[in-house]
Amino acid sequence: MAYDNNSQKIVDYIQNFARKHSLFVLAYGTGCGAIEIPPTMTSRYDAERFGIRGAATPRQADVLLITGYLATKTLKRVIRTYEQMQDPKYVIAFGSCTINGGMYWDSYNTINMLDKYIPVDVYINGCMPRPEAVISGFVKLQDEIQAGRADGWKKYQDNLEEYRANQKKIIKNWTMPDFNW
Amino acid sequence: MTDTLNKENKLLEVLKEEFKLLSGKVKRSRRVEVVIENEQIIPILLFAKERLNYIHFSHMSCVDWIEEGKFEVIYILWSPEEKINLLIKTKVAREGEDLPNIDFIWRQANTYEREIREMYGLPFDGLVGREEFILEDWDEIPPMRRDFITNEYVSETYFEREGREDAKDVREQILGRTDEKLPDFAKKYSRD
Amino acid sequence: MREKSTTLYIGPQHPGITGNMMVKLQVEGDTVVKAETHVGYLHRGFEKLMERRNWLQSFTIVCRICVPEPDPNEENYARAVEEIEGREVPERAKYIRVMTLELARIASYLLWYGGQAGSAGLYTMPQWSVGDRNYILDLFEDLTGGRIYHMYIWPGGVRRDLPKGFKDKALKTMDYLEKRIDEYDKLLFENSIFQKRAKGVGIIDKNKAIEWGVVGAPLRGCGIKSDVRIDDPYEVYDKLDFEVPAMEGGDVWTRALIRRFEIRQSINIVRQTLEKMPGGEFYNKIPNPMKWKIPAGDAYVKTESARGEFAYYVVSDGTNKPRRVHVKGPAYVHGVTLLENLLVGENISDVSFIMNSLGTCPPEIER
Repeated sequence: MAYDNNSQKIVDYIQNFARKHSLFVLAYGTGCGAIEIPPTMTSRYDAERFGIRGAATPRQADVLLITGYLATKTLKRVIRTYEQMQDPKYVIAFGSCTINGGMYWDSYNTINMLDKYIPVDVYINGCMPRPEAVISGFVKLQDEIQAGRADGWKKYQDNLEEYRANQKKIIKNWTMPDFNW
Repeated sequence: MTDTLNKENKLLEVLKEEFKLLSGKVKRSRRVEVVIENEQIIPILLFAKERLNYIHFSHMSCVDWIEEGKFEVIYILWSPEEKINLLIKTKVAREGEDLPNIDFIWRQANTYEREIREMYGLPFDGLVGREEFILEDWDEIPPMRRDFITNEYVSETYFEREGREDAKDVREQILGRTDEKLPDFAKKYSRD
Repeated sequence: MREKSTTLYIGPQHPGITGNMMVKLQVEGDTVVKAETHVGYLHRGFEKLMERRNWLQSFTIVCRICVPEPDPNEENYARAVEEIEGREVPERAKYIRVMTLELARIASYLLWYGGQAGSAGLYTMPQWSVGDRNYILDLFEDLTGGRIYHMYIWPGGVRRDLPKGFKDKALKTMDYLEKRIDEYDKLLFENSIFQKRAKGVGIIDKNKAIEWGVVGAPLRGCGIKSDVRIDDPYEVYDKLDFEVPAMEGGDVWTRALIRRFEIRQSINIVRQTLEKMPGGEFYNKIPNPMKWKIPAGDAYVKTESARGEFAYYVVSDGTNKPRRVHVKGPAYVHGVTLLENLLVGENISDVSFIMNSLGTCPPEIER
């Protein structure tokens, strides 16, 4: 088959359609937002209706859910986890504290802007966001995936040096292996 | 009132006989507070544990009194029989002095001591265990000391998103603008 | 022949771990020979932040210390401030506080049901109990406006009075939950997998338990009747009629049974508070919060939370900001020294099972 523009569009459409309906979320509760994940996943709100379910390891996950503030010690592990995940991968930042620091804007141990360290596709604000808000955030991510706009992982590859500089500013003892894809 | 605080007063009497207390008082029912020199910590803790049966180590805390140049360390014990919390307080200089390690009396004291060592930089004589308990690669002054200014550190280290000014007092700016009035409720809650 | 020992890291990214923490295990074959808890992944420096905030601003951040059950924190902080200042609390506010605390305790136990069963591989249980927990969160939403963080119990009383029709709704929910406990029994306690996994695992030595600093349900699971609600009564617990269960055993199974009985007692207390609640004021108004100064002094207060004794040590230096607020959650001992000692000799697959039964909650350890 000749690779013209139109058939590429069809392939993209099918790919994106498949991706958006099976979002495997990494089971990593980085902050207090993890408390609203069990209600979202269980009977009343039942996120599995949207094809959202948990994955145990980074290699099998599509979505990294940053549930709340990130302490600098966790940031190191989050970066490592994010780099272990396979493309395409998406990041949902959960809670006001990932946007601008929220309650902990003057804390010496938590970062204030998550998108300076790893690319973020969708932000969900609130402290704490309700399960409805979480689901709405996921639906927004699905729309973005379908439209082909959820390309944070490409941004990370393109601007790796900039992200690395920001990360190394905080993580003083950098002992992680180099990221290559 | 004196009848109800019988056992608390009795405890204070016993401690006064046995040790040279700097001060001692019954704060309220079930709370007794004594202040001692820091050489007497191990004797008084052992006495309370072995003889008075204060076998539960509830809490250990540290307060930075930077004006005096002292740290105040508080040991809180609980007796399951008497049902009294005994607060033992002592002061130690911020620099150059250390406190004895007590994790051979209660092993959970090890956790508290490691935290105080990390957060205040107060050394404990003979304390073993990992240096890093909560923080990682921290090279500033210990963060819980009063002279560590957290918001200065934050503005140097982390990014601040624009629009975060709402956390500051904007009332003076509003007053400076034309056509805008400070609402009455805002005047009432002035910061000074 | 002695097997070769290997280092195994469980966490921070691990589905079985309770919260964001790490346990470094030294294992020989399947058996743990040494365990070490690493915390600090959730450290926000609350106690530093409170030095910069005034007394009322601090109240809004204390509830964020413990996520599954924030109300004991608020209550502790409020009571410590009241004790230093000598502020009176209206009787109605005390009853509302007790009711809130008990609702929070039930919610926390329902979440624990899910975690404990989930760590044994029984995934139906979380679907039921976490689903039912939403009914209590609905009550909280009616009462306070928030599902998780309520910011409801503040110095001087509570923030709002009971909304209209709350009593009927609460009683209805209690009736429903009481029926559900029997169904949970069929699902969890009569399940032979759970029985085999839980009996004889993670035994705490009864003679050493108090000395090791064990509190709450794990201590009562050793057969020692110890509860802050009875030993050091606060609010109106001395006017209420309830029992504290204690059972011999000290293993995961006994701790699970204790929690199961406590849900019933909590439901009972909620009913009693709703019946006995007097009318009148619910809030003793504080002055202008920007200028509100607390006289110099200190207070040590404690509350029985779902996981054990929650204690606050609050120091005031006479200004409008706290000098020091030190928080000690039950997990501070359970999650570090106790866990490190209990895990020795256990199977790797029981690690998260034991952690769940102790209620290890890392935000309390590092705050």
